Amino acid sequence: MSSTTIPKARRGSGSPLNRVIRRYGWLVPMIPGMAFLIAISVYPTLYSLNASFYRWNLAASARRSLTGFRNYELLLSDPSFWHSVVVTLVYVAFVVALELTIGLVLALLFFRRFPSDHFLRALLILPMVVAPVVVGLLWRYMLNPRFGIVSYLMSLVGLPRVDFLGDPALALPTLIVIDVWQWTPFTFLILLAALQGVPEDVIEAARIDGARSMRILFDHILPMIRYPVAVALVLRLLDAFRVYDIIYMTTRGGPIDATQTLSWQIYDLGFKSFDIGYAAAYSWLMLILVVAISTVALAILFRKTDFA
Amino acid sequence: MVHSGSQTTRRAAIVGAALLFSASAIAGALAAEPVTLHAIFLPATWGTVVKDTLAPQYERETGVKIDVQLIGRDAIHEKMATLFAAEDSSFDIFNLDYNWIPEFAGGGHLVQMDDVLSTEDKADFFPLALRVASYGGKLYGVPQTVHPHLLWYRSDIYNDPATKEAYKAASGHDLAPPKTMDEWLEQSKFLNGRTYGGQKVAAWAAQAAKGYGNVHTWYSFFSTYGGKAFNDDFTKSTIDTPDGVAATKVWAEMSKLMPVGAVSYTYDDVTTAAQQGVVATAMQWSWGAFAVDDPKTSRTVGKWEFAQVPSVKAGEPSHPHLAEWVISVSKYSKQAAEAKKFVAWLETKKNDVVQASLGGGDPVRLSSYSDPKLTEEKLAGTDVKRFRRYSEVIIAMKNASPRPLFEGEERWETTITTPLQAVQLGQSTPEEGVKAADKAEDAALQR
Repeated sequence: MSSTTIPKARRGSGSPLNRVIRRYGWLVPMIPGMAFLIAISVYPTLYSLNASFYRWNLAASARRSLTGFRNYELLLSDPSFWHSVVVTLVYVAFVVALELTIGLVLALLFFRRFPSDHFLRALLILPMVVAPVVVGLLWRYMLNPRFGIVSYLMSLVGLPRVDFLGDPALALPTLIVIDVWQWTPFTFLILLAALQGVPEDVIEAARIDGARSMRILFDHILPMIRYPVAVALVLRLLDAFRVYDIIYMTTRGGPIDATQTLSWQIYDLGFKSFDIGYAAAYSWLMLILVVAISTVALAILFRKTDFA
Repeated sequence: MVHSGSQTTRRAAIVGAALLFSASAIAGALAAEPVTLHAIFLPATWGTVVKDTLAPQYERETGVKIDVQLIGRDAIHEKMATLFAAEDSSFDIFNLDYNWIPEFAGGGHLVQMDDVLSTEDKADFFPLALRVASYGGKLYGVPQTVHPHLLWYRSDIYNDPATKEAYKAASGHDLAPPKTMDEWLEQSKFLNGRTYGGQKVAAWAAQAAKGYGNVHTWYSFFSTYGGKAFNDDFTKSTIDTPDGVAATKVWAEMSKLMPVGAVSYTYDDVTTAAQQGVVATAMQWSWGAFAVDDPKTSRTVGKWEFAQVPSVKAGEPSHPHLAEWVISVSKYSKQAAEAKKFVAWLETKKNDVVQASLGGGDPVRLSSYSDPKLTEEKLAGTDVKRFRRYSEVIIAMKNASPRPLFEGEERWETTITTPLQAVQLGQSTPEEGVKAADKAEDAALQR
């Protein structure tokens, strides 16, 4: 009997090309995606970092000059930069806190079925589907002190007409209200989905043990939906930092500098004044701020004890 | 295998004929391709007149198609900068606010236009209109429309016997269009809050919104009081002077007499206020008169008259802020010669009148202001002349003050608008405001 068994292929056998293909071939399908990501994300980011080291007016690019960290030095000693940081932090803190809180309250209200809940839910999420630019325009007209519906309703109950968007003390709170009106439905949907994933038996067991609703909420439900809360928080945080459309359609950073956020300043400097280098430095400082705050927020949410 | 000589020759002849045929077909196709120029204009009346009427007419006359896009002011400014930075030839012709000429001509992005206008033509244009469209002594834009600030006043209010009597009793003066800032302030305090035809009126309105709005209005006061925004080489901001403080004080005082919400007023809001009859006077661009005489949207058709922006002292001229839009050709255009021909055609004597008669802004040629087609036209169903403001426009164009003509002018407006609004809203005194404006602008110049 002749032995004609085919020898098993040994690892490492075959031509060098085959060995390379076997080892790294799984990367090939990723190349188009990576190239796209590099082209639209990595390259522009590095380009902006490079631009931040230049004195560069877009209308006179041929005359740009390398100035090192000068833009950053000027920024850090510019009072209007720090003012923008404060305005942005106040805006972000309030919109995120309000949207999460109101979103949670609404999610708890809709947690159990009730008549017309689907219809009401659909109504609730309508603001979210409207483009931010349209939202800004809508509110600008609604808040117009001469012919806006808000002023009209106020006058019906004897209140004076108020220029919400033209009063430095009221403009930022008004923008916060507009943002909360538009984006609370977003957190509501995330938290409602999270609540619906909480096991009923956990709640039942707590109830049998005599726990009241608030105790059940804080001791059982909230810890179980911490991860979706973190997702909602980070997404809204990042979005709130980027606020621009509403400001463009309503206050343009005013009145005076009451709504002059970081993103508005970057637009003003980059696209009105064409001061590309300074605007790029602004962007990088804003990025550092956003990353720092997001990191702290997530660290607080996911404390060491979670992984003990 | 060796081919015979006749076969080689035959093959060469066939290939040569095929190449010749292809080349002539391609050349024929290229020659048949119509020329298309791409233009960006402001969606104001002068832009829509070009898009809807004049561009199609030019195509019928010459076969050259003009593709006109209408884009907002800020968007034009951004688009020009980004297209020029990329040396992009997508657009041949741009409609510019004249204060952008130093920025884009200085950056080497615009084609010189001196050869577009003959010497005779140039003599027919407002000298100031040509000056502000030039940079370094060369013309970089052909003026399309001028509109200096004028004082608008309601003839029905100023001619109302009861109002005249009440004003005389209150002030001891006759109620007439104010010649000085002091007169205007006194009249404004009197008129503010009075009721006409069931409508309570505010004293006046003007652009006041943050951005270029409040700067443009303030600038008429500033220039009239003799203020100069910069030193001669634009290296130092010089707003904080006694003239600057005086101008800002009067402007701040007058700002309190605008309608509620006026701190956000754009050009459109001022127009609406005038159309709705909620103000007794206004400081507005001259061409805005088209809107208030439009019976479809205005309740005050024929009721507005026009005068010079008040001066500081009686008998002295004021220096109203000049607004002007010009047409320029991009240096990166592959059809610059054709583009210049179109621009030249747009601003012939005939078309300057046509544009004005179609509501496309105020003319740039002196001869247009005496053309009977314009001067004799009346508002439909009335005896009121449609272009009754023209005599005032001519005077204003002699004394108008252009914005500071340097490369950073648009940035300057963005910089000083914030401290000026602080003055408007009473958060700074005029003295503090002009100091802050100088400080902010000097810091920006250093960058």
